[in-house]
Amino acid sequence: MSLTAAPVDIRSTDYLIEARDVVFDFGETPALRGANVSIREGEILAVMGPSGSGKSTLLHCLAGILAPKHGEIRFSGQRVDTLGDNERSALRRDSFGFVFQFGQLVPELTAEENVALPLLLGGLRRNDALGRAREWFERLGIDGLERRRSGELSGGQAQRVALARGLVANPKVLFADEPTGSLDSLTGELVMELLVTAARQAGTTVVLVTHEPRVAAYAGREVIVRDGLVSSLVPDTRAP
Amino acid sequence: MTRFGLRLTLRGGRESLIRLVVMALAVGVGVAMLLVTMATINALGKQNARGAWLATSPPAANGNPQLGQQGTSEASSSTIDPLWWLVSTNQLGNQVIVRVDVASAAARSLVPPGIPRLPGPGQFYASPALAKLLRSTPASELGDRFGGTEIGTIGSSALPSPSDLVVIIGQSARTLAQVPGAGEITSFTTSSSSGGPDSLGTTGLQVVLSILALVLLFPVLVFIGTATRLSAARREQRFAAIRLVGATLRQVAVISAVEALVAAVAGVAIGFGAFFLVEPALVHVPFAGQPLSAGDLSIGLLDILIVAIGVPAAATVVARAALRRVRISPLGVARRVTPRPPRFYRVLPLLAGIADLAFFVAVGRPTSSNGQIQAYLLGFFLIMIGLVTAGPWLTMAASKIMAKRTSRVPVLLAGRRLSDNPRGAFRAISGLILAIFITSVAVGVISTLLIDHGSTSSNTAASKTVTDQFVFGPNNSMPSVPTAELTSLRSIDGVTGVTLVYVAPSDLRTDGPVPDINGLGGDIQFGLASCAELAITPALGHCHSGAALATLGDDIAFMPVTKSVTIAASTTWPTAHISQGLKGLPVQLIAVATDGSASAIARAETALDRAFPFVGSPTLFGEIGTQTTQLLTALKTASEVVILASLLIAGCSLAVSMAAGLSERKRPFSLLRLTGVPLGVLRRVVALETAAPLIVIALASAVIGLVASDLFLRSQLGLTLRLPGVTYFVIVIGGLVGALAVIGSTLPLLNRITRLEDARME
Repeated sequence: MSLTAAPVDIRSTDYLIEARDVVFDFGETPALRGANVSIREGEILAVMGPSGSGKSTLLHCLAGILAPKHGEIRFSGQRVDTLGDNERSALRRDSFGFVFQFGQLVPELTAEENVALPLLLGGLRRNDALGRAREWFERLGIDGLERRRSGELSGGQAQRVALARGLVANPKVLFADEPTGSLDSLTGELVMELLVTAARQAGTTVVLVTHEPRVAAYAGREVIVRDGLVSSLVPDTRAP
Repeated sequence: MTRFGLRLTLRGGRESLIRLVVMALAVGVGVAMLLVTMATINALGKQNARGAWLATSPPAANGNPQLGQQGTSEASSSTIDPLWWLVSTNQLGNQVIVRVDVASAAARSLVPPGIPRLPGPGQFYASPALAKLLRSTPASELGDRFGGTEIGTIGSSALPSPSDLVVIIGQSARTLAQVPGAGEITSFTTSSSSGGPDSLGTTGLQVVLSILALVLLFPVLVFIGTATRLSAARREQRFAAIRLVGATLRQVAVISAVEALVAAVAGVAIGFGAFFLVEPALVHVPFAGQPLSAGDLSIGLLDILIVAIGVPAAATVVARAALRRVRISPLGVARRVTPRPPRFYRVLPLLAGIADLAFFVAVGRPTSSNGQIQAYLLGFFLIMIGLVTAGPWLTMAASKIMAKRTSRVPVLLAGRRLSDNPRGAFRAISGLILAIFITSVAVGVISTLLIDHGSTSSNTAASKTVTDQFVFGPNNSMPSVPTAELTSLRSIDGVTGVTLVYVAPSDLRTDGPVPDINGLGGDIQFGLASCAELAITPALGHCHSGAALATLGDDIAFMPVTKSVTIAASTTWPTAHISQGLKGLPVQLIAVATDGSASAIARAETALDRAFPFVGSPTLFGEIGTQTTQLLTALKTASEVVILASLLIAGCSLAVSMAAGLSERKRPFSLLRLTGVPLGVLRRVVALETAAPLIVIALASAVIGLVASDLFLRSQLGLTLRLPGVTYFVIVIGGLVGALAVIGSTLPLLNRITRLEDARME
């Protein structure tokens, strides 16, 4: 992998997500200091960087979880950072999917109910939602676990359930924040294989935050966040 | 380790301090409520003890030799001479006056409490409230009933409430010796539990009120237990970190106990402070329908010790028990020990209790009093046990159905949460269920009795007619009524007519059957009245046209319930025929029709009292049961107060347990919010899982309480449950709304703990 840094092209208008001069701080502590990044539809982008560099903050700004202090975030050409809390919630619910490091499943619900949650929130009837959720269990190799609670799943199984939940509503973008951070390398690779395959099949754009090069290697393009600024790595010959 | 626990609790940083303050405040609120409840019980006990002397009855009263004198103070009986004694009641409007007639049997007779010496003939002592009333009311309406001179006031130490109307009238021993019901006593009753006859009727009331106040203890204790569990989840996470550096489970338990203890001790201090702050204002709350005397609402040393030691000790035990429910490993709070789901057998005691009561509806009540008490107590006891044991099963069953069928996310999440831990969900409201059940039974029975008694207000004629029933006269009658007295009665301003009801002679012939309006059957002593007089006292009914005499059935004078009065007014009595005239026949009742003004009624009552002393008690027709009605109304009010208080306390318990539950689920909730789940959905989840059990359990226990009271009324009294009035439903619904408002007030906490800025770091 080449690590040649190059400025990010933000002039093009056919990006699905764009961040321009994004500034964010936690009080006295700056997190992003004019970050720029653009992501094309269907692209799998890895955001890398050392701990505390601001990569998770960037993901949270892109996903509308945090509103930047300065700069702008666009999704499908529409400003995200100026939206109200409710609109941003709706955007996250309808257009985005999420996979976090751990603990994202609701412990009282069964695995299939956890997966069906975004569909139910979207107003789908219970049986239809559960039916669509079950399809993902087979695709991700966790069939048979539908009725289990999160406490009865292994880390890898729980992450695959979370992945199914992130993709079940056909989001345009899947935000994955250290999705393999709590898994052993073998299970981590399995989860990444499944994530990338499922996303490519569905044409879902993926923004993947990781500090592990092995995980980042699944992405079509990598950017590095360092001291609150984003720099891109020249992609190697891998297909996007 | 104790020192370390103390340091961790007191100097554990801002979050630790806030947690401590919140817990202490919650425990403080609970302790204050507990102290108010205890003080109310004490106040009722003090009222009861002060009024006990009025329940004294002679061991061998004139014409009533079977009465026993139980539970009385025998002190000094050897040195004090007996006292002639008679207690009766008198009415002024809707106020009951307790009249005590006394006469010295010897030189050193017993002296009733509250007065320095016995009043002589023609003298009386009045309670301060009565003295005030005497000053503001013309003598012809009140004072003349007692005759003589007021020589002082009865001390507050002898009065249950400052508003009680009591008079102690001096008589000659010769006079009282002739009066039925009077007798000699050598001591006064000193406790309400003596079992002796209760002239005031308040003894039973106060016992029941004490029970109702005790009922309030359940939800209060549950609230305190819940408060000590506040922030448990956060605490447990910290304990995991301590475990990681090598602390044993035992050491963690000590730290946990210290933290709970510190919060509880602070809470107890806050609670005592709050109690003493509100105590002066609480004296004015008429819990039993009567204001309390200053100093009644107080707590004793034993109460203070029980609360001051009991609450911290209980908090420590609760903290220890709570720690057992989670496995705190060095790597964090391990998977929670999922409790076994409750089984169906938990519902069996409830069903058995209902079956017990239903059985006696089917086969009839037991004949003996003891049999009845055992039968009904068993039924009610089984239902109460059953409600507590069945609660978690019902919660689980209802929430499973809720979660299995819904397409709505809030319902699904709340349903799953409840079915996962039904015992936890039920715990916060377990105190409420008993309080609502017991008070609903009370309200159900009382409302039915009150409706059955009816009200004279619906019968205009009855509410204008004063009757004097000569129950203490020879053969329950007066041999004759002097014409001068009749003339005097008729001349009273506002009196429109006087009717005499005679005892029917043996040669009475009646055209047709006499209506049995009381429905009591049994020995019927017919009355006889002239149709000319009946025409001017329509409350007693009327004659067939052209008739001269009418036979009044069902011993009209003994109408125990006002319902009969309403019927009496519309009854046409059959024509009577007797061989001689009415003159010379004994009179069983005298009825005085008035223009309905309060002063005319009071004047008629006073005149009757003066004219026919000791043989009856002049009262508005049909309000013979007024005192009972007042007692029942007081009980109903107290029950409703308990319902309202229980609901609000349960709301506090639920709010606290909700706050604790939110802390436990901070991570999944926060992440759900990050993924776009609107705050409104999360709010509905929390509201549903908190409010649903409250509403369902409160309504279920109210319905079961009303069903149980219906079964009791059917088998024991032959009555069908009449739904309580609007007040009951307003109070239940208002209490629920209040409880929901308390819960709602904690909802902003959800917003706070799932704030996106904080949640992203979870």
